[in-house]
Amino acid sequence: MKIWSTEHVFSYPWDTVIKAAMRKYPNPMNPNVVGVDVLDRGLDREGRLHSHRLLSTEWGLPGIVRAIMGTSHTRTYVKEHSIVDPEEKTMELCSTNITLTNLVSVDERLIYRPHPDNPNVTVLTQEAIITVKGVSLSSYLEGMMALRMSANARKGWDAIEWIIQNSERDNPLCDLY
Amino acid sequence: MNSVGEGCTDLKREYDQCFNRWFAEKFLKGDRSGDPCTEMFKKYQHCVQKAIKEKDIPIDGVEFMGPNKDKPGG
Repeated sequence: MKIWSTEHVFSYPWDTVIKAAMRKYPNPMNPNVVGVDVLDRGLDREGRLHSHRLLSTEWGLPGIVRAIMGTSHTRTYVKEHSIVDPEEKTMELCSTNITLTNLVSVDERLIYRPHPDNPNVTVLTQEAIITVKGVSLSSYLEGMMALRMSANARKGWDAIEWIIQNSERDNPLCDLY
Repeated sequence: MNSVGEGCTDLKREYDQCFNRWFAEKFLKGDRSGDPCTEMFKKYQHCVQKAIKEKDIPIDGVEFMGPNKDKPGG
């Protein structure tokens, strides 16, 4: 098991970042996410929005890993639960893979909050637990996947920035969505 | 963005547009009324559930670590 965590600061207010986070896909930085579906969504008694989503992803695993894992199935499904609290200004997102679970599990948790000292910037804290099962090279693979997490985290931040910049280019004269 | 069900993508996009507008213009601004996209969501949902069954995606068979649950060893 490997635990990985990181923190990132976006130079945008929380609302802007959350809007982008909710419609993060598609973006050029995460071409591996090929489908996103909402399975369930609703407000709870505290007025928080819960969304359960299914992400369809295409894993670009190196050939050697595919060989070790004995699978050519690179289509993996991830289930994601997010809670947006508009009063507390937090967004918490948890995700876990629901296929290939006999080989590997990747549990991820992200929290977006306004910076405590500066409401114009947003802090994302991100952690993941990676467990590769039943493989003699599991610690090597876990280390490799942790490296991949870091690369993917950067892509995720870039994606949010990309969405923000592109959504701000909407034509203010027209109300076309 | 595509749906997991090839035939559901149009329904999904229609729903996403409706939801994103409500999310940005109402929900984040403190309006507590629910989203007006329920009918679109039902149609889209129906389509997705069918696709999930056809593709045998185990959405219920896995214990899901929701944000309110503690992670073992975490």
